[in-house]
Amino acid sequence: MIEVLINSALQLVLLLLLAPLLSGAIKTLKARLQMRRGPGILQPYRDILKLLRKGMVIPETASWIFSAAPYMVFATATLVGLMIPMTTTHAPFSLFGGVLAVVYLLALGRFFLALGGLDTGSSFGGLGSSREMTISAIAEPAMMLAIFTVALGANSTNLSEMAKVAVGQSWRFLAPSQMLAFAALFIVLIAETGRIPVDNPATHLELTMIHEAMILEYSGPYLALIEWGASIKQLVLMTLLVNTFFPFGLSSDWTLQTIGVGLAFYLAKLLMLACMIVLVETTNAKLRLFRVPELLMVAFILGALALISTFLF
Amino acid sequence: MPFVPDPEIGNRIITLMAALVLVLQIAAVGQRGIVSSIRIFAVQSFLLGAIAAVIAYFNQASHIYVVALLTVFLKAGLLPRLLERLVERIGIRREIEPLINVPLSILISGGLTLLGYVVAESFYHPEETSARAALGHNTLAVAVALFLIGFFVMVNRRKALTQVLGLLSLENGLFLAAISLTYGMPLVVEIGIFFDVLVAVLVLGILVFRIGETFDSMDVSKLRKLRE
Repeated sequence: MIEVLINSALQLVLLLLLAPLLSGAIKTLKARLQMRRGPGILQPYRDILKLLRKGMVIPETASWIFSAAPYMVFATATLVGLMIPMTTTHAPFSLFGGVLAVVYLLALGRFFLALGGLDTGSSFGGLGSSREMTISAIAEPAMMLAIFTVALGANSTNLSEMAKVAVGQSWRFLAPSQMLAFAALFIVLIAETGRIPVDNPATHLELTMIHEAMILEYSGPYLALIEWGASIKQLVLMTLLVNTFFPFGLSSDWTLQTIGVGLAFYLAKLLMLACMIVLVETTNAKLRLFRVPELLMVAFILGALALISTFLF
Repeated sequence: MPFVPDPEIGNRIITLMAALVLVLQIAAVGQRGIVSSIRIFAVQSFLLGAIAAVIAYFNQASHIYVVALLTVFLKAGLLPRLLERLVERIGIRREIEPLINVPLSILISGGLTLLGYVVAESFYHPEETSARAALGHNTLAVAVALFLIGFFVMVNRRKALTQVLGLLSLENGLFLAAISLTYGMPLVVEIGIFFDVLVAVLVLGILVFRIGETFDSMDVSKLRKLRE
C-alpha cells in the first residue's frame, strides 16, 4: 500500500516537474541545431514562476468559462498523466479508465481551451479555436486507431495491462502494425503539441498561429497554468508514445533499484523522442493551413492500415 | 556445421522494411514537390535493395547480393540523379497538381493497399508453410499494394515527369514481388530488367524534355493539341 502511494506521488511530482524541463530541453536542442545559443533549459520554469507572480487582466466580455478553462486544461492533462505508466508498468489511476478515458480527457481539455478562446469575443481567439478544432477533428480518430492497434495486441484497453503485455513481447515493436501505428501517433503528437509542420510554437504571427491565437487574451497565473498544462500534455503524449511502443525498462515490481532503472530508461527514451521532434522541426517548413488536413489524413490512413494489418499478419 | 541464420528474425526484418516501403509509397502520394517525390523514390529503392540483401543473407543465395547492389546503385543512385538533372534542365519547380485532391488520393491508396492484402491472401496456403513460404506472404501484399498505388499515381498525375515516377514505383512493386516470391530470379533476367528500366527512364526523360520544350509545360493533357 505504501509502495503504491510512493509510486503515485513520484509520478505526480515527475509529471509536474519534468514537463517544463522537457519543453526547455526541446527548445535548447532546437536552438543548438540551428547554430543559435537559445534560452537555457530552465527557462520554462522561470517563465512559469514569473507569470504566477504577476497580476491578471481579464477582458470585460469574459464569462466564467474564461476563468474555468485554464484549470480544466491543467487538471485534465495532469489526470491523464496519472493514467499512463511512466517508470513502472503500473499507473496510479489505471483503474480509473483506459485508452478511451485518456483520449476523451484530452479532448475535454482541448474543448475548454477552445471555448476560452471564443469566450472573450476577440476575432483572434475565435480564429485559433476554429483552427484547433479543424485539426483535432482529424487528429483524434488517427490517434484512436493507432492506440487501438496496440490495445488489440494486448487484449485490453487498460494502459497498465497494455504495458505489462508489451514488456513480455520485447520484439513486438518490429511488427509492421506497430510501426505504422507509431508513425501515425508521431504525426498526431506533432499536431497536438503544436510543433512546426502544423503550428509554430515560437511565433505570434496572426496568419499562422493556432495555439497562441487561442490563449492571446490570457495573462498572469492563468497563462502560466495554460502553458504548464500544455507542456504536461506534451509530456503525456510523448510518454504514451515511448512506453506503449518501446516498453524497455518498465518494471512490474517496486524496489528502489527497478524504479531507478525504469526512470533512467524513461528519461533516455524521452530524450531520443525529443531529438526526433527537434529534427522534424528543423528540417521542415511550416505547412500552409489548408495542407495540414492532408498531413493528418496520412496519419489517419497509417492508423487504419496499422489496425487492419494486425488482423492480416 | 555451417552457420544458418534464424529465418524468424529475417522474416521480422523483411516485414518491417516492407511496411516502411509502403509508408513511403503513401507519403509519395501525398507529396507535392517534384524533387521530394524523386527523393522519396530513391529512399524507397534503397530499402528495396536492403530487403534483397536481407533475403540473400537468410537464404544464403549469393547471386541476390548482386541484385541488391544493382538496385541500390541504379535505382537509388543513378535514376534519381538523372531525374533531378532533368527537373533542373526543364526548370519547372512548381508543385504537382493531382487530378483528385490529396486527402482523397491518400484514402484511395489506403483502399488499394487493402485490395493488395485481399489479393495476396488468396496466394497464402498455411498448410504448406515453411519458413521460406512465410517470408513471402507479408511482402507479396505490400508488393501488390505498391503496384496498384503506382498505377494510381500514373493515372492521377498530369505532369509527364510525375507519371514516370509512378511507373518507377510500380516497377519497384514488381521487383519486390519477384524477389520475395522466387528468392531471386536468374541473374540474367534481373540484369535484363534493370537495363530495361534504365533505358525506359532515359527514353521517357528525353520525351519529357521534348514535351517541355514544345509546349512550355509538362502537362500531358496539352498533347491533345497535336491532333489539329
